[in-house]
Amino acid sequence: MLLKKFFNVGFEDIAVVERKPFGLADLVRYPLFTKEFLVFLQDAMPVHRHEELVFSIVVTARKPSA
Amino acid sequence: MGYFREGDARAIIRQAYGQVQAGGAAVAEAFYAPQELARMPREAVELALGVGHPIRHASLRTGEVVLDLGCGAGIDTLLAALAVSPAGRAIGLDMTPEMVERTRRHAAAAGLANVEVREGLIEEIPLPDASVDVVISNGVLNLSTRKSRVLAETIRVLRPGGRVALSDLVLTEALPEEVLKSPAALAG
Repeated sequence: MLLKKFFNVGFEDIAVVERKPFGLADLVRYPLFTKEFLVFLQDAMPVHRHEELVFSIVVTARKPSA
Repeated sequence: MGYFREGDARAIIRQAYGQVQAGGAAVAEAFYAPQELARMPREAVELALGVGHPIRHASLRTGEVVLDLGCGAGIDTLLAALAVSPAGRAIGLDMTPEMVERTRRHAAAAGLANVEVREGLIEEIPLPDASVDVVISNGVLNLSTRKSRVLAETIRVLRPGGRVALSDLVLTEALPEEVLKSPAALAG
């Protein structure tokens, strides 16, 4: 979906150069999140997703040369 | 994101990022090399809130102009400034006044004169067409309710042949509704 958005606005050479699971253990590092929120998330998410809530990716792309 | 209107989402994110306090180096240490962190002011390290290391994939060269979308406290902006110095420069853009101020302070503390910081929206980048060689961003696009607009602005400000390297979080499965409705989840 995200890569399609890159394509739709005109980027070329679009590539996902990194893709890693991002789970609750990763979120704990961030000062943005309170302990209460992390407990809420732990309860709200199915156990099988605790290690893969989302994926962190790095996308590279290029604007076409004139 | 569909549970929040654009203005409400922006206010929640601005408040969360404006109030966040330095909380240790765990995030930075997960993504950056020790020798990179050694060059950064301590507060910039402790306020690293990204989800990757886009600069590692940006192939930055001296003399280039780099734009950091949603620069936060500035760690990527400062690393980009180092990579393109002495002839190049890095521009940090953030909608949160506290983060703009932090990046300015951190650039000064790091002795980097080739850093420029602007307050503004990533959906309305305050730069002319074709004025930037490389756009980087780290964990910010997912915060926007108008991602296509951000990417359209990104390609507008890039010079022909210009590059983008963007770290972000993506879903492979839907989140439960109670999580989607959570302002705290939105800000993350």
